[in-house]
Amino acid sequence: MKQRLYIELENCIGCRSCLAACTQCGGHEERNRNYVYDVNPFVNRQTMPLMCLHCVNPACARSCPAQAIQIHETGAVLSALVEKCIGCQNCTIACPYGIPKFDTEQNLMYKCDLCIDRTKDGIPPMCASVCPTNTLQWLTEEEIEMKQKQFNLDNGKWTASMKLEGETNVRVNLPGILQGVTKLF
Amino acid sequence: MQKDKSGKIENVVHPNEKLVKTHCSYCGMQCGMNLRVNTVSNKIVGVEPRYDWPVTLGKMCPKGVTAYQQTNHSDRLLKPLIRDDASLKGTKEGFREASWEEAYDLITTKFKELQTNYGKNSLSVYSGVSMTNEKCYLTGKFARVGLQTRYIDYNGRFCMSSAAGGFLRSFGVDRGSTLPWTDIHETDCIFMAGSNTAECHPTSMFRVWAVQERGGYLIVVDPRETPIARRADVHLDIKPGTDLALANGILNLLIQNNYTDEHFIKNHTNGFEETKELVKLFTPEYTSEITGVDPEKIIRAAELYGKAPNAIVMFARGIEQQVKGVDNVSGYTNMALITGKIGRPKSGVATLTGQGNGQGGREHGQKADALPGYRKIANPEHVKEVSAFWGIDPSEMPKPGVSAYEMFGLMEEKTIRGLYLLCSNPAVSAPNLNYVRKVMKELDFMVCADFYLSESCEFADVVLPTTTWSEDEGTVTNLEGRIIKINKAQEPVGESKPDWQIQIELAERLGRGKYFSHLKTARDVADEFRGASKGGYADYFGATWDKIDKQDGVFWPCKSEDDPGTPHMFLDKKFYHPDGKAKICALPYRPPAEEPDEVYPLRLTTGRVVYHYLSGNQTRRIKFLNDMCPEPYVEVHPEKAMEYGIEHDEIIRLYTRRGQAFYKVKITEAIRKDTVFVPYSFGHDESINLLTIDALDPISRMPEFKACAAQIEKLEIKKVL
Ligand code: SF4
Repeated sequence: MKQRLYIELENCIGCRSCLAACTQCGGHEERNRNYVYDVNPFVNRQTMPLMCLHCVNPACARSCPAQAIQIHETGAVLSALVEKCIGCQNCTIACPYGIPKFDTEQNLMYKCDLCIDRTKDGIPPMCASVCPTNTLQWLTEEEIEMKQKQFNLDNGKWTASMKLEGETNVRVNLPGILQGVTKLF
Repeated sequence: MQKDKSGKIENVVHPNEKLVKTHCSYCGMQCGMNLRVNTVSNKIVGVEPRYDWPVTLGKMCPKGVTAYQQTNHSDRLLKPLIRDDASLKGTKEGFREASWEEAYDLITTKFKELQTNYGKNSLSVYSGVSMTNEKCYLTGKFARVGLQTRYIDYNGRFCMSSAAGGFLRSFGVDRGSTLPWTDIHETDCIFMAGSNTAECHPTSMFRVWAVQERGGYLIVVDPRETPIARRADVHLDIKPGTDLALANGILNLLIQNNYTDEHFIKNHTNGFEETKELVKLFTPEYTSEITGVDPEKIIRAAELYGKAPNAIVMFARGIEQQVKGVDNVSGYTNMALITGKIGRPKSGVATLTGQGNGQGGREHGQKADALPGYRKIANPEHVKEVSAFWGIDPSEMPKPGVSAYEMFGLMEEKTIRGLYLLCSNPAVSAPNLNYVRKVMKELDFMVCADFYLSESCEFADVVLPTTTWSEDEGTVTNLEGRIIKINKAQEPVGESKPDWQIQIELAERLGRGKYFSHLKTARDVADEFRGASKGGYADYFGATWDKIDKQDGVFWPCKSEDDPGTPHMFLDKKFYHPDGKAKICALPYRPPAEEPDEVYPLRLTTGRVVYHYLSGNQTRRIKFLNDMCPEPYVEVHPEKAMEYGIEHDEIIRLYTRRGQAFYKVKITEAIRKDTVFVPYSFGHDESINLLTIDALDPISRMPEFKACAAQIEKLEIKKVL
């Protein structure tokens, strides 16, 4: 049963639990790999996570001269292989979302690997496990389809990923989901 | 929601590690978690979600995720500390390490000396509820039987006492939630007043959002557009300290528009007619005048709550930390009572408990006037029951004491001369801190038990190193009223000891061993505690550790071994007043103790941020949390900032009649123009409680943290903090 990371941007409260939890994944050397932004802090408290979308044809891997960025059979775009990464930082520039981070001391790129130690066995990644708001969820294809039907939005932009960097393994629901909800009374 | 799959998700267990299931150390949500323990070093090394915990499904806020870092933190106190030079009180200086024996000797000598010279009541115990029921229970017994003093109270006076007072008056019983949290996502309307839920109880949020996803409604009352208010269907942006007017205004509309349940009112309540008369005055326009909320919004909120087939009224410290906190609680509870939206699944009333054991800790005898099982010292029958259980003569039971804040008054006048402080940090969390700190400094003798050197430890003569939650076991009662089990994951660090053990050893040295020496383990204390609660209305007798484990917790009351407990209160429509009816309360409006004027034109309110817990003594030491929020700030609306000519990040002086502090300005439109906000989790010069007012609610003795009058001064010479 294929499961995907699904992001419901409207739900984010900016608690950054996803970042704290990221450090708890066995392979992550206690460093977090994603981002949460204040969208417009002078105006309101809207926040949004910026997670690796695990592109099907990832710009980071394409840009790597050393083939250090491997794609797992689950579709997860992995962190750079330590033995192959030459520290050129091409990937940090190539990624349209600025996901890969760079460790200057180790001269090594590191990025979200979707907690591959967990997700390869169908266990949710740490971020989606702890997310208190269901901004980050770990869903089956059927569950994602149901969401798509439930939140039938006017703007047709149900997933952002199509419009951005080709197809992605992660699915994103843009802010505004509630526009499509029929009220109970 | 991930609910259906939750039971089936396996956990990852890393090589050389085991998982110990337990709950978070911090707020009343008590999120389930697994602590990762290294099987070679036997130390806690991390956290793994507890997917099968029904309340939170593996979810945790950043405090919970990093909570494990407290245990083996380099700031842990490893040995008792003694300070010989009393002139250094109020600072971190002058402590030397000592053995337990030396510390105990000093404490016993001083305690005996004070009691011989000034009477038994010259000693006091100031406690807290961020610890197990067993510890809370034993602390009450330690004060009354061990030290034989009447003066014991606890930090719930700054947290849950208004909710307790309001529920006791409305229902005759104080269980923080009339229904389990697992009902929340299935209700049709949430009315949330004075709770910054997204930051203070984040793991409630997936259920709150689910209500809106299903097409239900969310109404939020808050002077700030908090993250939960941002998405509310109606945000009632109220002036701090005016909740009762809003509650009365909504009540009036519910009555005028026939949303009342006549049958329910007639059969199960008292006080309706009187209340109806009183709230007539609170037309939308009049209510708006007092609260500053647009009348249209008030009308809309009443309509939504009134129409909803099921609805839950929820609230927190925003409405409770006021001089009319108890009235606010009863006022909002009235909404459920006149519409009959209570005593059935998916409808009811709940307060969001602040501390991990804010519920259990207030039930079992740490409160100045209370005994185990929520019994009252004022009730001679109750005193008889508990005295018999403890093996003392009823005449030996000390009289009721005074509330936490009022103890400082007795310290000032030297009625109280010695203090045993545990599980609390009043040097940051009490209001009007300039006064409180001065009084603490002048105590004849003070002991502080903590696992870090808190700001309050700085006033102590002796500091005793205690264990964290992960080095001991016992039960706590979460915000639902569900009794759950905290498990031990590693041996105590250094020479630290659990509070119950310290108290037993002290009692023995004070010659009171015969009441304590039979207690050897946390389980012994637990068994005695269940027995002590038996027959009280907060009856825990049937809540054995085995049952808690089997049932994923036990909701009190749970009177016997075969009683499964009570997840939903009042399903039989029986309330706990003698006639079985609930009380609809007619509550005349009173303004906050200190209203803005020309000299102090701003309304100051305080609260939490998601990264810090209470006084911050724990969370400020956790790197991730401190990186995210290293210092306090003052939130100011851009229009107000323009008036004062101050900019974002500029340092200003904020002051009230009681004190001042310097804060960085944080400009945001997400706050009322007449209100400024400062988070309260910071110590020393950064404490906003230097400025807050010590006006107390007449019933709960809760200080009005949430509203006082303040002023901003732009600094001529730019200050660097
Ligand atoms: S602080 Fe509260 S919400 Fe956060 S993890 Fe702990 S119990 Fe859960």
